[in-house]
Amino acid sequence: MDFIRDYSLVLIFFILPIIFVLQPLLLDRIKNVDSKIDLSSLKRKKRLLYRQIKELEMEFDIGNVNKDDFEIARKDLKIEVSEVIATLNKK
Amino acid sequence: MTPIAGGVALNLAFGFSILTIIVLFLYTRYGDERLFLTGQRLALGVSFFVFLATFILSYQLLISNFDIDYVARYTSLETPFIYKISALWAGQSGSLLFWLFILSIYATITILQNQSKHHTLMPWVIICLAIIQLFFLVLTNFITNPFMPTEAEFIVTNGNGLNPLLQNVTMAIHPPTLYLGYVGFSVPFAFAISALINKDTSPLWIQSIRRWTLVAWLFLSSGIILGGWWAYQELGWGGYWAWDPVENASFMPWLTATAFLHSIIIQEKKDMLRIWNMVLIILTFTLCIFGTFLTRSGVMSSVHSFTASSLGPIFLVFVFLILIVSFSIMYINRNDLKSKKRMESFTSRESGFLFNNLVFVVMCFSVFWGTLFPVISEAVRGTKITVGPPFFNQINIPIGLILLALTGIGPLLAWRKTGKQSLIKNFTFPILSGLIGASFFIFIGLKGTVVISFSLCVFVLATISKEFARGILARTKKFNETIITAFYRMISKNRSRYGGYIVHVGIVFMFVGFTGHAFDKEKEFSLKVGETDHVAGYEFTLLKMSESERPNHYAWISDIRVTDNKGAFVTNLYPEKRVYFHKNPDVNRRQPHSELDIYSTLNQDIYSIFSAVDTENSIAFIKIMVNPLVRWVWIGGYILVIGTMIALWPRKD
Repeated sequence: MDFIRDYSLVLIFFILPIIFVLQPLLLDRIKNVDSKIDLSSLKRKKRLLYRQIKELEMEFDIGNVNKDDFEIARKDLKIEVSEVIATLNKK
Repeated sequence: MTPIAGGVALNLAFGFSILTIIVLFLYTRYGDERLFLTGQRLALGVSFFVFLATFILSYQLLISNFDIDYVARYTSLETPFIYKISALWAGQSGSLLFWLFILSIYATITILQNQSKHHTLMPWVIICLAIIQLFFLVLTNFITNPFMPTEAEFIVTNGNGLNPLLQNVTMAIHPPTLYLGYVGFSVPFAFAISALINKDTSPLWIQSIRRWTLVAWLFLSSGIILGGWWAYQELGWGGYWAWDPVENASFMPWLTATAFLHSIIIQEKKDMLRIWNMVLIILTFTLCIFGTFLTRSGVMSSVHSFTASSLGPIFLVFVFLILIVSFSIMYINRNDLKSKKRMESFTSRESGFLFNNLVFVVMCFSVFWGTLFPVISEAVRGTKITVGPPFFNQINIPIGLILLALTGIGPLLAWRKTGKQSLIKNFTFPILSGLIGASFFIFIGLKGTVVISFSLCVFVLATISKEFARGILARTKKFNETIITAFYRMISKNRSRYGGYIVHVGIVFMFVGFTGHAFDKEKEFSLKVGETDHVAGYEFTLLKMSESERPNHYAWISDIRVTDNKGAFVTNLYPEKRVYFHKNPDVNRRQPHSELDIYSTLNQDIYSIFSAVDTENSIAFIKIMVNPLVRWVWIGGYILVIGTMIALWPRKD
């Protein structure tokens, strides 16, 4: 019984991970990964830019950024976010 | 079977880590997604086998399998359950396996979390993490294997048991917390190196590593505080920080990581300091490995080091390799790292952050120099010259006070430039508060550095209060919210900013505690039952002395009544004198230990140590210390943790 138990453990703990690791190499070529990744990173970039706009507004409201700087920075961020949205819409 | 399986698991992890590096490197060359998927799975395989090896060793410790040398060295049949688990990181090979275990947890989370993110960065991130894992796998497989069988030619019926100093609940938590911090910096380091190789300077990965850095920083800070707490309640010298090499080893990466956490804000918001940030994260990670080297090599004698070995040269080679490779990659890509933007004014938040960074790095260098000076002096002049706390205090107290001042100045400065009017408007209230505080402290008889420190604490608290007030006012005005709603929404919508301010409040409270050290008082005396002595206005009477035999030690317990100078009862203290392994027939293997008792209030701690016992004449040798304001250090620590958790809390987008 010990023999069977030991070899079952070997199978579970050592052989299965090796099969798991080698499995992708048996697949056909994987395609279309880049477009999915691009989409996800663009969405994250959009979220980050929205967050930066909100933080900038907060800095302005409490007086840490002067009006001229605030308007220039907000304009730049808005241009950037609209470019990201446009790219997202194209995809 | 299981001990052998542990060794085999480590062998397989070693093999898998080499394959991970090769396969992912091939992916970066040929771009075949199957290679990337295989590389990812190989990396998960490394972690799986490390988890398995760690689980097997923990199980062997719990069942007291003394056929394994490590189990026999660090546990015994009498060792309580919790300390059998903590024995995993009590010795050399176990602690290295534990390092690897934590790294594998982080690596697994990083891989799973980024399956559809940072696709260009991830191959090199995994390669970097696999290289670090490979280093520790070389150590645990070939240099100090935790699964080595016991060398004795007889059946080992009982083990050595765990060092009594390590038989403390804090000590069961402190090393894992510290390791979670040390190891955690591997992830931002790996991202930084990958970004360098990929010439990626976008803010997306910076945001990811900022969170990882904050996680590692939280654990490192908690680990340092817990280490101080353990030293305070266990080592019996009445302090929590002694500028010991192992303490310094954890403090140095904390300093550079803190600088990094501040300067990365500038990169995120202003796209500046790219090179500086790279330098800081490389230094932080290198100092973490260097810290492990200091703790594990035995090159420095330390109250926190419980192992000594010949691992030093291997660690040093790894440290130099990290530095050479990282800075070479940085040099090659230096043109991509140059920022187009420049600092425009000395009175801007950017320059405030930069100055704060420089001070952190100077402090780190001074600690580094003081820590390594004994080794350097021995190498150069043949004599080991040790620099003690006076050296560190002389240099670091002024630097610490500058940092404290900057904590208050930074938030008052505007981005890009602060106009003259704004400077006056922003600084008036905090400076006035600081000056009123200073006058009060001088009035009650305080002098010198103590006054400066307390006044700066008032100044910083005033700044933070002003920041909260400004934020609340802005919200009430803009959104017509009540003060409570504005307070809640202000924090929840700007967690990183206000979490940071709460961390600063914690730091201020810790400075209050540090400053209290200037008023410490202590006295040693002997007492027979019924006798009394006095320290710092308190009366200490030994009411009785009892004995008790417990599972893993024998204890003499003194019952001391404390009353104040008016005779009012304050507390009873029960410090103990213990002998661990008291049943061991070899008297030399029995280990005496003093278990302290501390009466702690916000105002001061009464710290009692049962130094020795004369059993024939029933005399207790007692040391009493009265340490003002120590509790504020721990309160500051709690606040720091809460603030960091607020900053880390995920936000809804």
